[in-house]
Amino acid sequence: MGGQFSSPSPQTFGGKVVTVKSKEDWETQLQNSKTSNKLMVIDFSASWCGPSLFMDPVVQDLANEFPDVDFIKIDIDDFKDVADTFEVKAIPTFVLLKKGKERERVVGVKKDELHRVIEKLRS
Amino acid sequence: MAVSGFEGFEKRLELQFSGRDPVIGIGLRELDFKSLEQVLHQVQCTVVSALGNQHFDSYVLSESSLFVYPNKIIIKTCGTTQLLKSVQPFINHARTLNLRIVALRYTRGSFIFPEAQPHPHTSFHEEVVYLEDNIPEHLCYRKASVIPSKLTSHSWHVFSAGAVEYPDGVPYTVEMCMTDLDQTLARKFFRHPNDGKNGDSAGREMTELTGISRININPNAHICDFAFDPCGYSMNGIDGDRYSTIHVTPEHGFSYASFECVGSVYNADIADMVKKAVKVFCPGTVSVATTNASDDMCMRIKGAVEQLGMKCRSWSMDEFPAAGTVVFQTFTTRRNIRT
Repeated sequence: MGGQFSSPSPQTFGGKVVTVKSKEDWETQLQNSKTSNKLMVIDFSASWCGPSLFMDPVVQDLANEFPDVDFIKIDIDDFKDVADTFEVKAIPTFVLLKKGKERERVVGVKKDELHRVIEKLRS
Repeated sequence: MAVSGFEGFEKRLELQFSGRDPVIGIGLRELDFKSLEQVLHQVQCTVVSALGNQHFDSYVLSESSLFVYPNKIIIKTCGTTQLLKSVQPFINHARTLNLRIVALRYTRGSFIFPEAQPHPHTSFHEEVVYLEDNIPEHLCYRKASVIPSKLTSHSWHVFSAGAVEYPDGVPYTVEMCMTDLDQTLARKFFRHPNDGKNGDSAGREMTELTGISRININPNAHICDFAFDPCGYSMNGIDGDRYSTIHVTPEHGFSYASFECVGSVYNADIADMVKKAVKVFCPGTVSVATTNASDDMCMRIKGAVEQLGMKCRSWSMDEFPAAGTVVFQTFTTRRNIRT
Protein backbone atom coordinates (compact mmCIF):
# COMPACT_ATOMS: atom_id res chain seq x y z
CA MET A 1 0.00 0.00 0.00
CA GLY A 2 1.36 3.39 -0.87
CA GLY A 3 1.69 6.18 1.58
CA GLN A 4 -1.04 8.13 -0.06
CA PHE A 5 -2.34 10.93 2.07
CA SER A 6 -5.96 11.88 1.81
CA SER A 7 -7.48 14.84 3.58
CA PRO A 8 -8.87 13.81 6.93
CA SER A 9 -12.43 12.59 6.70
CA PRO A 10 -14.98 14.35 8.88
CA GLN A 11 -13.75 13.46 12.29
CA THR A 12 -15.30 13.20 15.66
CA PHE A 13 -13.34 15.52 17.85
CA GLY A 14 -14.71 13.60 20.80
CA GLY A 15 -14.18 16.24 23.42
CA LYS A 16 -11.04 17.74 21.95
CA VAL A 17 -10.62 21.41 21.17
CA VAL A 18 -8.65 21.48 17.93
CA THR A 19 -6.28 24.38 17.39
CA VAL A 20 -6.14 25.41 13.75
CA LYS A 21 -2.49 25.35 12.69
CA SER A 22 -2.50 26.28 9.03
CA LYS A 23 -4.56 27.80 6.26
CA GLU A 24 -5.16 24.31 4.85
CA ASP A 25 -6.28 23.20 8.28
CA TRP A 26 -8.89 25.95 8.37
CA GLU A 27 -10.13 25.21 4.85
CA THR A 28 -10.55 21.57 5.84
CA GLN A 29 -12.49 22.49 8.96
CA LEU A 30 -14.74 24.83 7.01
CA GLN A 31 -15.33 22.14 4.41
CA ASN A 32 -16.14 19.66 7.16
CA SER A 33 -18.75 22.03 8.51
CA LYS A 34 -20.31 22.51 5.10
CA THR A 35 -20.65 18.80 4.47
CA SER A 36 -21.91 17.66 7.84
CA ASN A 37 -24.83 18.34 10.13
CA LYS A 38 -22.62 18.99 13.10
CA LEU A 39 -22.45 22.26 14.95
CA MET A 40 -19.01 23.86 14.87
CA VAL A 41 -17.91 26.37 17.50
CA ILE A 42 -14.98 28.60 16.57
CA ASP A 43 -13.11 30.17 19.49
CA PHE A 44 -11.34 33.27 18.14
CA SER A 45 -8.64 33.80 20.72
CA ALA A 46 -5.43 35.62 21.52
CA SER A 47 -2.71 34.63 23.95
CA TRP A 48 -2.26 38.20 25.15
CA CYS A 49 -5.88 38.70 26.14
CA GLY A 50 -6.84 37.79 29.71
CA PRO A 51 -10.56 37.24 28.99
CA SER A 52 -9.63 34.95 26.10
CA LEU A 53 -7.35 32.83 28.29
CA PHE A 54 -10.04 32.79 30.96
CA MET A 55 -12.33 30.91 28.57
CA ASP A 56 -9.83 28.14 27.67
CA PRO A 57 -10.87 25.75 30.46
CA VAL A 58 -14.52 26.69 29.95
CA VAL A 59 -14.33 25.76 26.26
CA GLN A 60 -12.65 22.48 27.18
CA ASP A 61 -15.48 21.71 29.60
CA LEU A 62 -18.03 22.46 26.90
CA ALA A 63 -16.17 20.20 24.46
CA ASN A 64 -16.35 17.42 27.03
CA GLU A 65 -20.03 18.05 27.67
CA PHE A 66 -20.94 18.16 23.96
CA PRO A 67 -18.79 15.54 22.15
CA ASP A 68 -21.10 15.76 19.14
CA VAL A 69 -20.07 19.40 18.58
CA ASP A 70 -16.80 20.38 16.91
CA PHE A 71 -14.74 22.95 18.78
CA ILE A 72 -11.90 24.70 16.98
CA LYS A 73 -9.59 27.44 18.15
CA ILE A 74 -8.24 30.18 15.86
CA ASP A 75 -5.54 32.58 16.97
CA ILE A 76 -6.47 35.99 15.58
CA ASP A 77 -2.83 37.03 15.09
CA ASP A 78 -1.88 33.87 13.19
CA PHE A 79 -5.04 34.01 11.11
CA LYS A 80 -5.76 37.69 10.81
CA ASP A 81 -7.60 37.35 7.50
CA VAL A 82 -9.96 34.69 8.87
CA ALA A 83 -10.64 36.91 11.89
CA ASP A 84 -11.28 39.85 9.55
CA THR A 85 -13.63 37.77 7.40
CA PHE A 86 -15.65 37.04 10.50
CA GLU A 87 -15.31 40.68 11.64
CA VAL A 88 -13.82 39.75 14.99
CA LYS A 89 -13.26 43.02 16.85
CA ALA A 90 -13.25 41.97 20.49
CA ILE A 91 -12.04 38.81 22.18
CA PRO A 92 -12.96 36.16 22.87
CA THR A 93 -15.52 35.82 20.08
CA PHE A 94 -17.30 32.50 19.58
CA VAL A 95 -18.84 31.91 16.16
CA LEU A 96 -21.24 29.00 15.76
CA LEU A 97 -21.37 27.50 12.29
CA LYS A 98 -23.79 25.08 10.78
CA LYS A 99 -23.26 23.89 7.21
CA GLY A 100 -20.47 26.43 6.92
CA LYS A 101 -22.76 29.36 7.75
CA GLU A 102 -22.73 31.50 10.88
CA ARG A 103 -25.86 30.94 12.93
CA GLU A 104 -24.97 32.75 16.13
CA ARG A 105 -22.07 34.37 17.87
CA VAL A 106 -21.22 35.08 21.48
CA VAL A 107 -18.82 37.91 22.19
CA GLY A 108 -16.98 37.94 25.50
CA VAL A 109 -16.77 35.66 28.50
CA LYS A 110 -20.38 34.55 28.68
CA LYS A 111 -20.37 30.97 29.90
CA ASP A 112 -24.11 30.57 30.42
CA GLU A 113 -24.97 32.19 27.12
CA LEU A 114 -22.46 30.09 25.18
CA HIS A 115 -23.83 26.96 26.82
CA ARG A 116 -27.36 27.99 25.93
CA VAL A 117 -26.70 28.63 22.23
CA ILE A 118 -24.67 25.44 21.85
CA GLU A 119 -27.53 23.45 23.31
CA LYS A 120 -29.98 25.25 21.09
CA LEU A 121 -28.07 24.71 17.84
CA ARG A 122 -26.50 21.28 18.23
CA SER A 123 -29.47 19.26 17.07
CA MET B 1 -33.98 56.98 52.60
CA ALA B 2 -33.76 53.37 53.78
CA VAL B 3 -32.10 52.56 57.10
CA SER B 4 -29.78 50.13 55.40
CA GLY B 5 -29.31 48.65 51.97
CA PHE B 6 -26.77 47.93 49.27
CA GLU B 7 -24.12 50.61 48.88
CA GLY B 8 -24.03 51.61 45.23
CA PHE B 9 -21.37 54.31 45.59
CA GLU B 10 -18.09 52.91 44.36
CA LYS B 11 -14.51 53.24 45.43
CA ARG B 12 -12.21 53.68 42.44
CA LEU B 13 -8.51 53.02 42.24
CA GLU B 14 -6.26 53.81 39.28
CA LEU B 15 -2.65 52.67 39.26
CA GLN B 16 -0.16 53.70 36.59
CA PHE B 17 3.05 51.85 35.93
CA SER B 18 6.12 52.16 33.76
CA GLY B 19 8.96 49.84 32.88
CA ARG B 20 12.65 50.16 32.08
CA ASP B 21 12.03 49.25 28.46
CA PRO B 22 10.48 51.98 26.36
CA VAL B 23 8.37 49.37 24.60
CA ILE B 24 6.21 47.87 27.27
CA GLY B 25 4.62 45.13 25.18
CA ILE B 26 1.53 43.72 26.80
CA GLY B 27 2.79 44.79 30.21
CA LEU B 28 0.25 44.15 32.96
CA ARG B 29 -1.89 42.08 30.60
CA GLU B 30 0.71 39.40 31.09
CA LEU B 31 -0.51 38.93 34.66
CA ASP B 32 -2.01 35.48 34.67
CA PHE B 33 -5.56 35.04 35.76
CA LYS B 34 -4.63 33.18 38.95
CA SER B 35 -2.76 36.29 40.15
CA LEU B 36 -5.68 38.57 39.30
CA GLU B 37 -8.10 36.23 41.06
CA GLN B 38 -5.88 36.28 44.13
CA VAL B 39 -6.08 40.05 44.31
CA LEU B 40 -9.82 40.08 43.66
CA HIS B 41 -10.27 37.57 46.44
CA GLN B 42 -8.67 40.01 48.87
CA VAL B 43 -11.18 42.61 47.76
CA GLN B 44 -14.05 40.12 48.06
CA CYS B 45 -15.20 40.08 44.44
CA THR B 46 -15.18 37.66 41.51
CA VAL B 47 -15.25 37.80 37.73
CA VAL B 48 -18.72 37.59 36.22
CA SER B 49 -17.94 38.42 32.57
CA ALA B 50 -15.04 39.76 30.51
CA LEU B 51 -14.03 41.10 27.11
CA GLY B 52 -10.82 42.37 25.56
CA ASN B 53 -9.36 43.93 22.44
CA GLN B 54 -5.88 44.81 21.26
CA HIS B 55 -5.68 47.72 23.74
CA PHE B 56 -6.91 46.38 27.07
CA ASP B 57 -8.80 43.70 29.00
CA SER B 58 -12.06 44.46 30.78
CA TYR B 59 -13.74 42.42 33.51
CA VAL B 60 -17.23 42.75 34.94
CA LEU B 61 -16.98 41.83 38.61
CA SER B 62 -19.52 40.75 41.19
CA GLU B 63 -19.06 44.21 42.67
CA SER B 64 -18.20 46.37 39.65
CA SER B 65 -15.30 46.50 37.18
CA LEU B 66 -11.63 45.94 36.45
CA PHE B 67 -9.67 47.24 33.46
CA VAL B 68 -6.15 46.07 32.69
CA TYR B 69 -4.06 48.06 30.22
CA PRO B 70 -0.38 47.36 29.54
CA ASN B 71 0.61 50.19 31.90
CA LYS B 72 -2.53 50.88 33.94
CA ILE B 73 -5.00 49.14 36.21
CA ILE B 74 -8.38 50.62 37.03
CA ILE B 75 -10.53 48.86 39.59
CA LYS B 76 -13.88 50.12 40.79
CA THR B 77 -15.92 48.30 43.42
CA CYS B 78 -19.12 49.01 45.33
CA GLY B 79 -20.84 47.51 48.36
CA THR B 80 -18.59 46.88 51.34
CA THR B 81 -15.52 45.72 49.46
CA GLN B 82 -12.11 46.52 50.90
CA LEU B 83 -10.75 47.94 47.67
CA LEU B 84 -7.57 49.46 49.10
CA LYS B 85 -6.36 45.99 50.05
CA SER B 86 -5.62 45.48 46.37
CA VAL B 87 -2.93 48.19 46.31
CA GLN B 88 -0.03 46.16 47.72
CA PRO B 89 -0.80 42.97 45.76
CA PHE B 90 -1.09 44.88 42.46
CA ILE B 91 2.19 46.71 43.09
CA ASN B 92 3.90 43.41 43.95
CA HIS B 93 2.56 41.55 40.94
CA ALA B 94 3.60 44.40 38.65
CA ARG B 95 7.10 44.24 40.12
CA THR B 96 7.39 40.62 38.96
CA LEU B 97 6.92 41.98 35.44
CA ASN B 98 9.58 44.66 36.02
CA LEU B 99 6.95 47.35 36.16
CA ARG B 100 7.12 50.15 38.71
CA ILE B 101 4.18 52.14 39.98
CA VAL B 102 4.45 55.81 39.02
CA ALA B 103 1.04 57.19 39.99
CA LEU B 104 -2.00 56.28 42.05
CA ARG B 105 -5.39 57.91 42.29
CA TYR B 106 -8.18 56.93 44.67
CA THR B 107 -11.61 58.55 44.35
CA ARG B 108 -15.08 58.09 45.70
CA GLY B 109 -18.28 59.96 46.39
CA SER B 110 -20.05 59.94 49.79
CA PHE B 111 -21.41 56.63 51.03
CA ILE B 112 -25.13 56.35 51.54
CA PHE B 113 -24.42 53.96 54.44
CA PRO B 114 -21.02 54.99 55.80
CA GLU B 115 -21.39 53.01 59.04
CA ALA B 116 -21.60 49.78 57.07
CA GLN B 117 -18.11 50.20 55.60
CA PRO B 118 -15.30 48.01 56.94
CA HIS B 119 -11.71 49.01 57.64
CA PRO B 120 -9.96 50.84 56.08
CA HIS B 121 -13.04 52.53 54.62
CA THR B 122 -14.67 53.68 57.84
CA SER B 123 -13.61 57.25 57.07
CA PHE B 124 -11.63 59.12 54.44
CA HIS B 125 -9.01 59.88 57.07
CA GLU B 126 -8.54 56.16 57.65
CA GLU B 127 -8.36 55.50 53.91
CA VAL B 128 -5.65 58.15 53.53
CA VAL B 129 -3.64 56.72 56.43
CA TYR B 130 -3.90 53.25 54.88
CA LEU B 131 -2.76 54.53 51.48
CA GLU B 132 0.16 56.50 52.92
CA ASP B 133 1.28 53.32 54.69
CA ASN B 134 0.97 51.11 51.63
CA ILE B 135 2.44 53.06 48.77
CA PRO B 136 6.18 53.26 48.02
CA GLU B 137 8.26 56.28 48.98
CA HIS B 138 9.08 57.32 45.44
CA LEU B 139 5.47 58.42 44.98
CA CYS B 140 6.49 61.58 46.76
CA TYR B 141 3.97 64.08 45.41
CA ARG B 142 0.82 63.38 47.40
CA LYS B 143 -2.43 65.09 48.20
CA ALA B 144 -5.71 64.16 49.86
CA SER B 145 -8.75 66.37 49.66
CA VAL B 146 -12.52 66.33 50.02
CA ILE B 147 -14.19 68.50 47.43
CA PRO B 148 -17.51 69.74 48.77
CA SER B 149 -20.78 70.62 47.09
CA LYS B 150 -23.84 72.44 48.36
CA LEU B 151 -25.37 69.01 49.13
CA THR B 152 -24.07 67.50 52.36
CA SER B 153 -24.75 64.02 51.01
CA HIS B 154 -22.51 64.56 47.99
CA SER B 155 -18.80 65.29 48.35
CA TRP B 156 -15.94 64.00 46.24
CA HIS B 157 -12.97 62.40 47.95
CA VAL B 158 -9.61 62.31 46.16
CA PHE B 159 -6.21 60.93 47.11
CA SER B 160 -3.50 61.26 44.51
CA ALA B 161 0.17 60.30 44.61
CA GLY B 162 2.81 60.39 41.91
CA ALA B 163 6.49 60.16 41.15
CA VAL B 164 6.13 63.30 39.06
CA GLU B 165 4.15 66.40 39.84
CA TYR B 166 2.18 66.89 36.64
CA PRO B 167 0.19 64.47 34.49
CA ASP B 168 1.62 63.91 31.03
CA GLY B 169 -1.35 64.73 28.84
CA VAL B 170 -3.20 61.56 29.72
CA PRO B 171 -6.83 61.33 28.65
CA TYR B 172 -9.43 62.72 31.06
CA THR B 173 -11.88 60.69 33.09
CA VAL B 174 -15.54 61.41 33.79
CA GLU B 175 -17.06 59.79 36.89
CA MET B 176 -20.80 60.32 37.24
CA CYS B 177 -22.94 59.27 40.23
CA MET B 178 -26.72 59.33 40.11
CA THR B 179 -29.11 58.84 43.01
CA ASP B 180 -32.87 58.87 43.50
CA LEU B 181 -33.47 57.13 40.16
CA ASP B 182 -36.84 57.37 38.46
CA GLN B 183 -38.63 54.28 39.77
CA THR B 184 -40.28 53.30 36.49
CA LEU B 185 -36.91 53.36 34.75
CA ALA B 186 -35.19 51.63 37.67
CA ARG B 187 -37.65 48.73 37.43
CA LYS B 188 -36.13 47.82 34.08
CA PHE B 189 -33.10 46.60 36.00
CA PHE B 190 -35.02 43.92 37.89
CA ARG B 191 -35.02 40.35 36.56
CA HIS B 192 -38.41 38.85 35.83
CA PRO B 193 -38.95 35.59 37.70
CA ASN B 194 -39.01 32.58 35.35
CA ASP B 195 -37.89 34.68 32.39
CA GLY B 196 -35.99 31.70 31.02
CA LYS B 197 -32.90 33.85 30.70
CA ASN B 198 -29.43 33.75 32.18
CA GLY B 199 -27.46 36.72 33.54
CA ASP B 200 -25.84 37.24 30.13
CA SER B 201 -29.01 37.27 28.04
CA ALA B 202 -30.99 39.24 30.64
CA GLY B 203 -28.15 41.76 30.71
CA ARG B 204 -28.18 42.05 26.93
CA GLU B 205 -31.91 42.72 27.02
CA MET B 206 -31.53 45.42 29.68
CA THR B 207 -28.81 47.08 27.61
CA GLU B 208 -31.15 47.31 24.62
CA LEU B 209 -34.41 48.14 26.39
CA THR B 210 -33.00 50.92 28.54
CA GLY B 211 -31.16 52.72 25.75
CA ILE B 212 -27.71 51.98 27.19
CA SER B 213 -26.72 50.43 23.85
CA ARG B 214 -27.26 53.81 22.22
CA ILE B 215 -25.05 55.88 24.53
CA ASN B 216 -21.99 55.20 22.41
CA ILE B 217 -22.96 55.41 18.76
CA ASN B 218 -19.65 54.07 17.45
CA PRO B 219 -20.57 50.82 15.66
CA ASN B 220 -17.16 49.39 16.52
CA ALA B 221 -17.77 49.71 20.24
CA HIS B 222 -18.63 46.55 22.17
CA ILE B 223 -20.58 46.11 25.37
CA CYS B 224 -20.03 43.36 27.94
CA ASP B 225 -23.12 43.31 30.15
CA PHE B 226 -24.64 41.30 32.98
CA ALA B 227 -27.91 41.31 34.92
CA PHE B 228 -27.81 40.24 38.56
CA ASP B 229 -30.52 38.25 40.33
CA PRO B 230 -32.96 39.53 41.57
CA CYS B 231 -31.86 42.97 40.41
CA GLY B 232 -28.85 45.03 39.50
CA TYR B 233 -26.90 45.53 36.31
CA SER B 234 -23.33 46.12 35.20
CA MET B 235 -21.69 46.79 31.87
CA ASN B 236 -18.27 47.57 30.49
CA GLY B 237 -17.98 49.23 27.09
CA ILE B 238 -14.84 48.91 24.99
CA ASP B 239 -14.19 51.28 22.12
CA GLY B 240 -10.63 51.24 20.84
CA ASP B 241 -8.48 52.12 23.84
CA ARG B 242 -11.37 53.76 25.73
CA TYR B 243 -13.54 52.07 28.30
CA SER B 244 -16.89 53.05 29.72
CA THR B 245 -18.73 51.44 32.56
CA ILE B 246 -22.20 51.56 34.09
CA HIS B 247 -23.42 50.01 37.34
CA VAL B 248 -26.98 50.06 38.64
CA THR B 249 -28.48 49.45 42.08
CA PRO B 250 -32.17 49.94 41.29
CA GLU B 251 -33.86 49.36 44.65
CA HIS B 252 -36.09 52.12 45.95
CA GLY B 253 -34.69 53.84 49.01
CA PHE B 254 -31.07 53.56 47.98
CA SER B 255 -31.24 53.57 44.18
CA TYR B 256 -27.97 54.44 42.48
CA ALA B 257 -26.37 54.35 39.06
CA SER B 258 -22.90 55.28 37.92
CA PHE B 259 -21.52 56.09 34.50
CA GLU B 260 -17.83 56.47 33.85
CA CYS B 261 -15.94 57.04 30.63
CA VAL B 262 -12.68 58.28 29.19
CA GLY B 263 -12.23 61.14 26.79
CA SER B 264 -9.52 63.02 25.00
CA VAL B 265 -9.27 66.05 22.77
CA TYR B 266 -10.22 63.78 19.90
CA ASN B 267 -13.62 62.92 21.35
CA ALA B 268 -16.23 65.62 21.00
CA ASP B 269 -18.97 63.24 22.04
CA ILE B 270 -18.41 62.95 25.79
CA ALA B 271 -20.98 65.58 26.79
CA ASP B 272 -23.50 63.85 24.57
CA MET B 273 -22.75 60.48 26.18
CA VAL B 274 -23.19 62.00 29.64
CA LYS B 275 -26.56 63.41 28.62
CA LYS B 276 -27.76 60.09 27.23
CA ALA B 277 -26.62 58.28 30.37
CA VAL B 278 -28.58 60.66 32.60
CA LYS B 279 -31.65 60.12 30.41
CA VAL B 280 -31.50 56.37 31.01
CA PHE B 281 -32.10 56.90 34.73
CA CYS B 282 -33.76 60.33 35.16
CA PRO B 283 -32.19 60.69 38.61
CA GLY B 284 -33.07 63.26 41.24
CA THR B 285 -29.40 64.09 41.82
CA VAL B 286 -26.33 63.86 39.61
CA SER B 287 -22.71 64.48 40.48
CA VAL B 288 -20.00 64.60 37.84
CA ALA B 289 -16.31 64.53 38.67
CA THR B 290 -13.83 65.05 35.84
CA THR B 291 -10.11 64.52 36.18
CA ASN B 292 -7.76 66.35 33.85
CA ALA B 293 -10.51 67.68 31.60
CA SER B 294 -10.41 71.15 30.06
CA ASP B 295 -12.65 73.91 31.38
CA ASP B 296 -14.38 73.85 28.03
CA MET B 297 -15.26 70.16 28.39
CA CYS B 298 -16.52 70.72 31.94
CA MET B 299 -18.75 73.54 30.67
CA ARG B 300 -20.05 71.29 27.88
CA ILE B 301 -20.91 68.56 30.35
CA LYS B 302 -22.66 71.11 32.57
CA GLY B 303 -24.63 72.36 29.58
CA ALA B 304 -25.59 68.83 28.56
CA VAL B 305 -27.01 67.95 31.99
CA GLU B 306 -28.80 71.30 32.25
CA GLN B 307 -30.43 70.64 28.89
CA LEU B 308 -32.31 67.84 30.63
CA GLY B 309 -33.87 70.36 32.99
CA MET B 310 -31.55 69.81 35.91
CA LYS B 311 -30.06 72.72 37.81
CA CYS B 312 -26.36 72.99 38.60
CA ARG B 313 -26.05 73.39 42.37
CA SER B 314 -22.29 73.57 42.67
CA TRP B 315 -19.04 73.69 40.74
CA SER B 316 -15.87 73.16 42.73
CA MET B 317 -12.34 72.20 41.77
CA ASP B 318 -8.96 71.31 43.13
CA GLU B 319 -5.51 70.48 41.73
CA PHE B 320 -3.80 67.17 42.41
CA PRO B 321 -0.26 65.93 41.81
CA ALA B 322 0.07 63.48 38.93
CA ALA B 323 -3.69 63.56 38.34
CA GLY B 324 -4.29 67.17 37.35
CA THR B 325 -7.39 69.26 37.91
CA VAL B 326 -10.47 67.64 39.37
CA VAL B 327 -13.76 69.46 38.79
CA PHE B 328 -16.78 68.37 40.81
CA GLN B 329 -20.26 69.46 39.76
CA THR B 330 -23.62 68.56 41.26
CA PHE B 331 -27.08 68.86 39.75
CA THR B 332 -30.58 68.29 41.03
CA THR B 333 -33.96 68.34 39.35
CA ARG B 334 -35.69 71.63 39.87
CA ARG B 335 -38.38 70.05 42.03
CA ASN B 336 -35.89 68.23 44.15
CA ILE B 337 -33.51 69.94 46.52
CA ARG B 338 -32.33 67.20 48.88
CA THR B 339 -29.50 67.77 51.31
